[in-house]
Amino acid sequence: MSALLEVDGLAKHYPVKKGLLLQKQVGAVRAVDGVSFTLNRGETLALVGESGCGKSTTARLVLRLIEPSAGRIRFDGQDVTKVDGGAMRALRRRMQIVFQDPYASLNPRLTVGDAIAEPMAVHGIGNEASRRAKVQELLALVGLRPFHADRYPHEFSGGQRQRIGIARALAVEPDLVVCDEPVSALDVSIQAQVVNLMKDLQARLGLSYLFIAHDLAVVKHMADRIAVMYLGAVMEVGEKRALFARPRHPYTRALLAAIPHPDPSRRGRVTPLGGDVPSPMAVPPGCRFHTRCPFAQDRCRSEVPALRDLQGQQVACHFAESLPDPGLDYSGGLTEAAAKRLALYDAARRKAAA
Amino acid sequence: MSMASVNSTAAAAATPVAPGTPKRPGTLSRLLREPVAAVSLIVAVLLILAAALAPVLAPTDPFDNDLASAMTVPGAPGLLLGADSQGRDMITRLLYGLRATLLMGGASVLLGGVAGAIIGFASAYYRRIDGLLMRLMDVLLSFPAILFGLAIAAIFGPGIPAVILALSVATVPLMARIVRGNALVVMRQDYIEAARATGMGDGRLILRHLAPNCLSPIFVFATLRFGQVILLGSALSFLGLGAQPPVAELGAMASEGRSFLFFAPHIAVLPCVVIFVVVLTFNLLGDALRDALDPRLRV
Repeated sequence: MSALLEVDGLAKHYPVKKGLLLQKQVGAVRAVDGVSFTLNRGETLALVGESGCGKSTTARLVLRLIEPSAGRIRFDGQDVTKVDGGAMRALRRRMQIVFQDPYASLNPRLTVGDAIAEPMAVHGIGNEASRRAKVQELLALVGLRPFHADRYPHEFSGGQRQRIGIARALAVEPDLVVCDEPVSALDVSIQAQVVNLMKDLQARLGLSYLFIAHDLAVVKHMADRIAVMYLGAVMEVGEKRALFARPRHPYTRALLAAIPHPDPSRRGRVTPLGGDVPSPMAVPPGCRFHTRCPFAQDRCRSEVPALRDLQGQQVACHFAESLPDPGLDYSGGLTEAAAKRLALYDAARRKAAA
Repeated sequence: MSMASVNSTAAAAATPVAPGTPKRPGTLSRLLREPVAAVSLIVAVLLILAAALAPVLAPTDPFDNDLASAMTVPGAPGLLLGADSQGRDMITRLLYGLRATLLMGGASVLLGGVAGAIIGFASAYYRRIDGLLMRLMDVLLSFPAILFGLAIAAIFGPGIPAVILALSVATVPLMARIVRGNALVVMRQDYIEAARATGMGDGRLILRHLAPNCLSPIFVFATLRFGQVILLGSALSFLGLGAQPPVAELGAMASEGRSFLFFAPHIAVLPCVVIFVVVLTFNLLGDALRDALDPRLRV
C-alpha cells in the first residue's frame, strides 16, 4: 500500500491579541500542535479524541481550508502547503469533505441536483446534460431517487441529507474524502445506513477516508487504523484491532476504559482520569498529558516524548513498555448499547447483501 | 457490495412518492397564489404604468395654471380631483408627482442598496478590508441624510438628481451594515466551507451561496427604506433642496398644500394618500417577494 496523504509536524496556532489599538500578541491557542500521520490508499484512518483536541482543525488543515502555521502535508507526493492557484484547484478536485451537520452543509436555496452538479461545473467536468446524467447516477449510488434532484434540502430527513452531502463529495471522483463526524448528528438506525453506505462506496470506488469521530463504536466499525489525539497532538497510532486489544498510551487506555462497560465487577478497577483538559493556550511542558497521567514521572514534565514505533504501533510515551498491565479487556469493552449497534450495522449489511 | 444492495437500502430510505412528480410552480405563480401578494403586485404594476405614462394619461399640462379655478374642491366638472392653489389640475399633478416620487425612491434605494450590499459582502468575505470599510460606513452613518442633501445640492444645484444622490449615499451604510452582519452569519455555515472545498472562485461563491441566503433582510430593509426615502425626499423638497417648483413631486405637493389645510384639505391630503398607497404596496410586495423566493416556504 502506498501513502496517499502524509502529514508531518502540522500545526495551527491562533494568536491571542490584547489591547484596543496596539494589539499585542499575548499568547497563542495551539489548536493543532505538531500532528503527523500517514493515510494509505484505500484505507480509513480514524482520528479520535475528546472535544477540542484539534480533530476538525486537522481536517480543515489537510484540505487547506485554513492555512497551517507550520508543517507539511503531502498529497500523492505533492506538497499541498506550497501549491497555489490552478494547481490547488486541481488538488481540490481530488479531496472532498463530508460534514457533521447535515442541516448546515447544504445550501437551502439550491436544489439537490444543482448542489451535486456544482463541484463538476466548478472543475469544468462535462457539459450541462452529462452533469445531469451524472447527478442521477450519484443519487442512485447513495440510495436516493432520480426525482430527488429537483427538490430542496429542507424536504429531506437528516440521513437523506447526509447522503446528498456524500453524493456532492463524490461528484468530482475524489481520491480522499475527509469525513468530519459524518454520523454523529444522526439517529442510530440512520447511522447504520450511512456508515454502511460509506463502507460500500469505499470498496467500490477505492476511496480513502480520513474519518473524524468521537464515537468509538462507529470507529471500530469503520476504521482500518486509528490515531488518538490529545490537546492538538497525536498520542498513539495503530491498527484498529491492535489498538483496541493493547492500547500502549495511558491516554488511549483511559479513553477506552471510559467506555461504559456492562460488567459490574470492573467497578473499582478502572480509575477515571482526574482533572480537566488543560487550555490549548497553556499547553503543559514536556508530555502534554503529564498533568492527568497516573504514571507521570519527572522526565514526563520536562521532555517531550516523540512518536516512536513499538511493535507495529506508534506511541508518544516515554514509558510505554514499562506501564503496568491494567488487566482490562478493552476489546469487549463496548457497552451493551454500542455492541447492539455494531450488531445492527452488521445485520443491515447482511440484509442489504442478501 | 453489489448494485442491488445499494438499491435496496435506497428503497428503504427514499420517500414513497411516485417518480416523475410534477414540477413545482415557479416564483411568479407562487407569488400570484397569495391574494395579498397578487393585489400588491397588480397595484404596483398599475402605479408604475401610471407614472411612466403620465404624459399620455394626464388630462392637462402639469404647469397649466388657471387662477380662476384655484383650490376647486374635488368633484367639480372637468376637475375630478379639484385643483391646487395655482389652479392646476390635481389629477395631472398627482400623476407627475407619482412619476417623480417613484423615480426618486426607486433610484435611491436601488443605487444605495446595491452599493451597500456590495460593500457589505466585501466586508464579510474579505476580512482584511472589513475594518477599513466599516469605519468608512461609520463616517457616512454619522451624517444625517438632510445634511447630505444640503451638501450635494450646494455642489450640483438643487433638484431631483441631487436628492437621489444624497439619499443613495445615506442608504449605503445602512444596507452595508445589515448585509455584513447577515453575511457573517451565513459565512459560518458548512455549505460555504463545502463550496470553498470544491475550489470555486470568490465571485461564484458570493453570488451563488452567500448572497441568495442574505436575501430576506435585504428585501425587508429595501422596502422599509423605500418608504423612509420618500419621506426624506419630501423633507428635502420642503427645504427647497429637492424638486423645485413648479415641478410636481408628491412630498413637495403635500408640503405646499399644508398652508391651505383648512380651506382646501384635498391639496395636501391627496398626495399623502398616494404616498400611503405607494409605500404600503411596495412593503407588501417586498414581503411577498421575500417569501416567494425562499424555497423553504414552498409548499
